[in-house]
Parts: sequence; structure tokens; C-alpha cells
Amino acid sequence: MAFTTTAGRATDTTSVARPGRAISPRRRRRFSATPYLFLLPGVVIFVVAIIWPAVSAFQMSLYHWNVFNAQLSQWIGFQNYITAFQDPHFWQSLANSGIYMAATVIPQMAIGLFIALLLKKKSPTQPLFRVLFYLPVVTSWVVVSLLFKFLFDDSGVINFTLHDFLHLMNSDVSWLANRWTALFVICLLGIWKGIGWSMLIYLAALQGVPESLEEAASMDGANRWQRFQAVTLPAIRPATVFISVMLVIGGLNVFTSVQLITDGGPVGQTDVVLTYMYIQAFNFTDFGYASTLAVILAVIVFVLALLQLRIMRTDDAEEPA
Amino acid sequence: MSASGLVTGRSRRGHSGRAFGTSVRYVLLIAGAFIMVAPFIYMISASFQSQAYVLTIPPQFIPNPATTSNYTDAVTSENFILYFVNSLIVAVISTACSVLLSSMMAYAFARFSFPFKETIFRLLLVGLTIPAVMLLIPQFILAKNLHLLDSLPGLIFFYIAGSLSLNTFLLRSFFATIPGELDNAMQVDGANAWTRYWRLAIPLAAPALSVATIFTFLNSWDEYPIALTLINSQQNSTLPLAIATFQGQHSTQWGLVFAASMIAVIPVIIVFIVFQRYFVQGLTTGAVKG
Amino acid sequence: MKRSSKLGLAVVTAATVSLLAAGCSAGSTGSTAGTKSNPVTITFWGSYGNGGNSTQQDALNKTLIPAFEKANPGIKVKYTDIAYDSLLQKLTTSAAGGELPDLVRADLGWVPQFAQNGVLVPLSDSMKDYKALAAKDYPGNVSTNLYKGKYYGLPLDTNTRVLITDQAALAKAGVTTPPATVADLQTMAAKLKGTGVSLFADSGLGAWNISPWIWSGGGDLTNKAETKATGYLNSATNVQTIQMLVDWYKAGLIPNLITGNKGATGTSDGLPKTKYATIFDGPWMAGIWTGQYPKFQPTYSQIPAGAGGSVSVVGGEDIVLTANSTHQAAAEKFIRFTQTPAFQIAMVKTGQMTVEPSLAGQQATIAPYYQTFSDQLKTAKSRIASPNQSKIDAVLTSTLTPAFLGKTTVQAALDDAASQIDALLAGN
Repeated sequence: MAFTTTAGRATDTTSVARPGRAISPRRRRRFSATPYLFLLPGVVIFVVAIIWPAVSAFQMSLYHWNVFNAQLSQWIGFQNYITAFQDPHFWQSLANSGIYMAATVIPQMAIGLFIALLLKKKSPTQPLFRVLFYLPVVTSWVVVSLLFKFLFDDSGVINFTLHDFLHLMNSDVSWLANRWTALFVICLLGIWKGIGWSMLIYLAALQGVPESLEEAASMDGANRWQRFQAVTLPAIRPATVFISVMLVIGGLNVFTSVQLITDGGPVGQTDVVLTYMYIQAFNFTDFGYASTLAVILAVIVFVLALLQLRIMRTDDAEEPA
Repeated sequence: MSASGLVTGRSRRGHSGRAFGTSVRYVLLIAGAFIMVAPFIYMISASFQSQAYVLTIPPQFIPNPATTSNYTDAVTSENFILYFVNSLIVAVISTACSVLLSSMMAYAFARFSFPFKETIFRLLLVGLTIPAVMLLIPQFILAKNLHLLDSLPGLIFFYIAGSLSLNTFLLRSFFATIPGELDNAMQVDGANAWTRYWRLAIPLAAPALSVATIFTFLNSWDEYPIALTLINSQQNSTLPLAIATFQGQHSTQWGLVFAASMIAVIPVIIVFIVFQRYFVQGLTTGAVKG
Repeated sequence: MKRSSKLGLAVVTAATVSLLAAGCSAGSTGSTAGTKSNPVTITFWGSYGNGGNSTQQDALNKTLIPAFEKANPGIKVKYTDIAYDSLLQKLTTSAAGGELPDLVRADLGWVPQFAQNGVLVPLSDSMKDYKALAAKDYPGNVSTNLYKGKYYGLPLDTNTRVLITDQAALAKAGVTTPPATVADLQTMAAKLKGTGVSLFADSGLGAWNISPWIWSGGGDLTNKAETKATGYLNSATNVQTIQMLVDWYKAGLIPNLITGNKGATGTSDGLPKTKYATIFDGPWMAGIWTGQYPKFQPTYSQIPAGAGGSVSVVGGEDIVLTANSTHQAAAEKFIRFTQTPAFQIAMVKTGQMTVEPSLAGQQATIAPYYQTFSDQLKTAKSRIASPNQSKIDAVLTSTLTPAFLGKTTVQAALDDAASQIDALLAGN
């Protein structure tokens, strides 16, 4: 609720502030039902199945919610929010989610784009490489999380390689026993698994870069790096905006890998917002507090997404409402 | 980081330079591919080992002795084929509906100006920010009221809804890159909005639609929390539910889990291979030139 | 042209609406069905699918349920297996929507919480023969069903923790028989220092993990009425018991698995690999080892006795009847069926221990190592029967871990734990 109204207000200002810069053919017409008809079926399903439940979740956050008998729930206003802001464990888990996001977004994008550039051109081996780089994306989180847990086990492959095989370390490292090394493992998994995802979107976006432009630039004597900066990068900007917004959202919502690799341990030190929320909801059945954590996270994520859209404004986004 | 190798490879445009560039490219690709695939190979190998040999240190990449018993056990476990078919039905219908509906929405956002456009778009963005776990209980009650509990249509309904935000956002960024002149030209020729969407935007956005298809299929195929919440009976179970029951409270037969996961990954890879073929450079550029 | 545009959209819109409508008309084949037709169908949820090993589920679906249906014409039982890690989530969501099945096989730790929230039927009120049925079971198991003077379930299967040792590791400590007392363990500790073999390993510091040490050491977690922890949990006896574990931890005799290192070697691997000399664990380990370490021969014995004797902790599952069941009488018939020797013994054969001491002898003929467990169960106690049991576990873990890591004293940790648990017990 809170965030939808904010969103609405922000929209109004943009639409008033910058009128009539669109090249849209529809602009000259008077009110038309056509765009609404295009939107209707999707929006109806979306509002019923996502927005309504989201509003219910927000409602829960204002109560000492009794999940088994909603009628017995006690209205406590913003008490859950006050509790959350005073809860050091919430701040630590928020910091962990933030660290994960900060550490994984850029590498996924950079490496994904780099591989997409390598695989853009048609060649006999190209489809094979595309599949290979995409494999981590299609493998379920459950399986890859466990795989990483085994790899970084005290007597796992990584310790075996670094200690017994390469002799780079004097003793085995307990990767998952320390907050920072454990977060490192979780971030590494996130990057590894996400590269194929950004690669795929960049591959699709690169198909839209007009070859004529690249050819023109190369005739002007631009080297590959200059052409990449001057032609390719601007042309795939909408995809970059999309990927970065999605990865920031996904980064702050990290859950499964943490739950399966450390389960927040040792003693909650690697808890992220969603693992902490899950414990509150299903182990302690405190749905009011769990919803509060979810709403706070959603507001943060939503504000960050809007900021990104604003900073990395594309031609499309500049089009006023 | 990425460009330095390419710049040196490209500064001289001679034959040797190009050959050097190509070999650098392949070295990078093969090294990268190895890192990406090694854990996957480890998993395949584990799926062919009997329980006693799974997850050994040092790792065994070639199973010895190899056994296919995990695969036969997985496939012959009760109703595995039924779960596979259920998952297929749900994923195919969800994907088709979601891609159609979200491309329509994306087209409206990219090609029209209308009141509340940004408000509606931001509402969609809200859908991406809410942690899905928190929606489970309200969605369960909603499904109960709509009589969608324990049914495949129920899963399809929530899978479509859950994928609309991402797909619309994705497709909107791609539709926006299609030159407006083409749209104008068609409009001058008297084509209405639906025709321009269906005959111009959709074909030109083939790469983006492929991406949306690949993602939506994967997400619906792998979805676990909603399926766990809504489905109560075996005849409506999906594959992720079945694979989850292979993990026990005290012990898990990893060979079996990996074998089932390998089988489960096949349709996803097929969808990927089929749809990535639409990533053909020049599709849009050709259209602009023509 | 304009018309065909609208037509295209209309088709899609209509299709969407009909999808919704189709959804509305479909479904409802689930748990609410079957009231009109003659045979009543009762639904039953649990986690018998044991990590891909279907023997328990098969025994239920192929032998026991058909036998029950034959004996009770007009009642059909539909069992649904849910992955163990997801069962609590599924139960909570379904309870929120008033869509629980008739019967649930619930971890005994969940029963007070569900009872507190009114989702269960108090069997001690609804079943006239409850007392007679409960009298046949281990008292420790029956007590897990107690909430505010009423009993909400009956024990279905049980387990407990016993001492399991590796003969090769014992040899390294210069002994041939498992330590019978805490003093024996102290002797072993001195010998094992520096050998690289850990004296004892466990995977956490919750009530399940530390209770056997505390009870055997002669201490307790709370008063008898389970209303107060201060003065009990932080007693001098308990400080001494936990201090002994902390000393072993600091000497490298207990691995950091106990303080939450998820990468440490698990007990099921460490024992057969002679990394750990002793562990406390349950009857399920036998099955894991036959599959994974066929050559390993574990030794089962009683928890090392201290000032309080040899006292272990009760685990297992209870069967409960939910308040939204519309077929209570039929469901109660099935509950009675689960208490029959036929049901109990059939499940023993698949690795579930019986809750009835009178069947222990027969059980031991099926698998001899069960004898150690049923002996241990005679004195085993159950954890605090509180709706806040998982919070109590969280408190114990978060207060004791710093004591092991040397960041606080054992006394301070136990004082802190006791006062936090007081608050949780008062909140009931």
C-alpha cells in the first residue's frame, strides 16, 4: 500500500513535468481505449494474484498476526516496524543481503556481456558454447547449492586442491564457519549461476545492434574498444538497465542458496533478510513480524529500482507518461 | 577487464592478427566453459554412482563402477512419468499465456502514451519486489476462494501472474529499440494497433520473445513453493515436489536426486536450444534497411 | 480494420476470463470432497518418504491402509507424502486457510504449538479410550502431546539418542568398550589429545543436543511444571557439565561442527571414518551406514552416566486430529489402528521404532540394535513441551555458542539463556 501510493505520486510529477517529447504516433489522437485493451488481461490477473496478496501481506505487518485464526489477530499499528528498526539481527541480515547484492551484480553483468560478445557471431561451435554457459542457470538452486556446499566442505574439493594438491595453504580452511568466508562462497555461487542469465539477455540485445553502424565506425578507423563504447554499449542500454534492475532485486532477495549452504549459521551470522524472515514466519509463526521484514525489504528494493531507472534513463524511459 | 585481449588482437588487421584473435577467443571460451560446466559434470558423474561412491574426495569425474540404477530407480519410482507430464502441461501453458499477455502489455508501454502509464508500470515493478514467500498464505486463501486448490489450472494461474512483471519489463525494453519509423509507416498504410503488434512488433522482437520463453518455461518448470502450497494429491503433483521428497530428514540419496534432476533438466535444455536459434543478428537491422 | 483490432484483443481477453472461470469450476476435488458419497475419505499427511527410500511409504500404502480399509468398510484413507523439510511450511499455510487434512503425522515438537492455536482436537476429551491407549505407550512420548492439561495426540513412532562408538577410535584411546560413565569419557579425553581423533561430535547446541548431557549430569532445564528456567538451567551442576564440553572443545576434542560450521564432517561420516570416537545419535543411522559404509560396524550403548544416571532425550512423531476434520469418528478409528501391534510392528520392519514398551522384545528380534534404544527410552525424557520450543532452541544455540568460542563464560551464557527462556515460558 505504502509503496503503491508513493509510486503513483512520483508518476504524476514526471508526467506533468515533461510533456510531449514522444514521437509516438498515438500522441496526436484523443483518448483511445486501445492501450488499455492491450493491458487489461495481464493487469487483471496480476492485480488479483499478486497485488491483492501483497496488500494482505502488508496488512499482516500491522498486526500481531495469528496465522491460524486471523480473527484473533491484534492490531498493533507500526509496532512491528519499530521492533525491526531496533532489532540488531535484522540490520545484520540486511547488511548481508546488501553485501551479496553489491558483490554479485557487477561481475554477473560484466562477465555475462563479455561472453555474449564472444558468442555473438555465428560459428559452428557457437550453439554448443551457448548451452554450456547456460547450464548453471537451468540447474536447480537446490542442487547447485548443495554442490557448492560439498565443494567448500572442510574436507571438500577446494580445500583438497588448495592445501593437499597445490600446497597454497598450510591447513584446511573452514569456509562455512566464518561470516566472511561463508558469504564469499555464497556470492561466488550467485555469480557463477547468474552469468548465463545476463549472457542470454545480452545475446538477444546484441542482435538488435545494427551492423551498418559498426561497419561505419570501423571505417572511421575506430578500434574494437572504441566501437564497443561508441556503438554497442549505447545500443544495448535498455538491456543493461533491465539486467541491472533485475539483478539488484534478485540480489537483495537472495534466499535458497543461503538457506541450503549455511542456513544463516554460524549463529545467524550469515542470515539474509529472507532467511531471517522465513524463520520468523514458519519456525516462530510470527507472520506479523515476517511480513514487516518483507515489506521493508520490498520498499528498499522498489526505491532502488526506481533510482536505477531514473539514473540510467534510456530513450524509452524518457518518454513521458 | 574484458577488452584488453581483444584490442591487441585487433590492432593489426592482418591474417595473423585475426587468427590470433580467434585463438584467444577460443582459449577464453574453453576455459570459461570448463569453470561453468565442471560442477555440472560432477553432478552427472555422481548420478551414475551407487550411493556408496557419491561425493567422494578427491572427486571422481568418471564413475567407476558406473551404474544406471539411480536413473531406473528415479523413473520407476511411483508416478514419476505422471509428475513429468503434469510439469510439462503446466510449464507449456503458463509460458504460452504469459509470453502472449506480457508482450501485449509491453507493446502498450512501448508504443502508446496514455494516462496512468507509469503508474501501471510501477505497479508491475512492485510485483518484482515483494518476496514471494510472503505471498504464499494470501495466495493460498485466494486459491481456496477461487476453487483453484489442488489443481493444475491453479498452478498455471499463479505461474502466469508471477511471470508477467519480469516479462513485461524485459519485452518493453526490447520493443523500445524497434525503430518508430516502421510503426509509423505501417500506420500510414492503414494497419491497426493489433496488426502492428502482431505482424511487426512480434516478429521483430523474436530474440526477446525467445528469452522470455526460455525464462518463463524454466521458472514454471522449477517452481516449488507455490506447488507445495497448493497441491495436495499425487495426481496433481509436479516434478519439483517429487524430487524434494527424495531428500530425507536424516539421509538423502544424492545419486537419486541428481539422476532425477538430470532427467528434469532435459526439457529445459531442449527449450533453450530451440529458442536460442532466434538470436540471429540482422533480423532487426535487415528490417530497418528494407 | 479498427474492428478487427478490437476483435483480436477481445479474443485474448475472453480467453483470459474463461481461464479464470475454468479455474473456478475445476478443482474442489481435494480434501473437501466425498461427504455425499457413501464411503468417507479421510486424508493423512506425513513424511514417510525417507530420502528416496520408499519402504515406509509402501508399508503404509500397500499393506496397512488396505488392511484398515478392509476392516472398516466405508472408510477410505488417502495418504499424501510431503518432503520433510517442507512439512511445517505446508502445515502452517494449510492451517491458515482452514484446509488441513484430517490426520497429520507431526514431529512431537510441533504439537504444543498447534494445540495452542486451536487447530487440533484434544484427543483426551474426544476419545473415551484415550487413557487406555496412552497407558500402553512410553510416558515420555505421551507427555509431548500435553498442552494446558489436555492431550492432543498419540505417539506414532519414537526414537532417542544413544551413544554410538567406533571400535577403531576406541582402540586409539586405549579402551575396548564404550565409555559407560562420564568419568570414562574423561579418561579417553586425556588419551585422545593430539591424535587427531575427536572425543565427541555433535551438530548443534539445541535442546536435542545438550539435554542428554544436562540430565545425565544431574541437572535440569526447568522446574517440574516447566514454568521457570532460572535456578535450574543455570545451576552449578549444569555449569560444570557444560564447562566440561567447553574444555573439550577448546582442547580440540570436539569439532566446530557443534558451533555451527556447516562445512565440518557430519557425524554420519566422521564416525565410520574414525575422525570421531563417539557420537549421540538415533536409530536411523544404521540404515545410512548400511548403504554408505557397508563395512562399518558401529557399537551402540547407553549414554555415559553421570550424577543423574544415563538419561537421553525423546524424539519421534505423534498422530494428531485437526479441528477442521469433518470425519472425526472415522479419523479416530484410524488413530486406534496406529496403536495396534500389527501397525506398530509393520513400521518397525521399515525402521520406525515402536512407542509401546510391551512390543520392545519383539522389536529386538527384528533388529537387535533396537534393544539399546528401547532400554534408553525407559528413562528418556521429553524436551520442554512449549509452543515456543523452536525459540527455546534458538536461545540455547545463540547463548551457548559464544561460551564455546571463548567469548563469554559458561555461567554468563547459562544465566542469559535461563532469563530468556523464562520470558518464553511466561509467554505461553
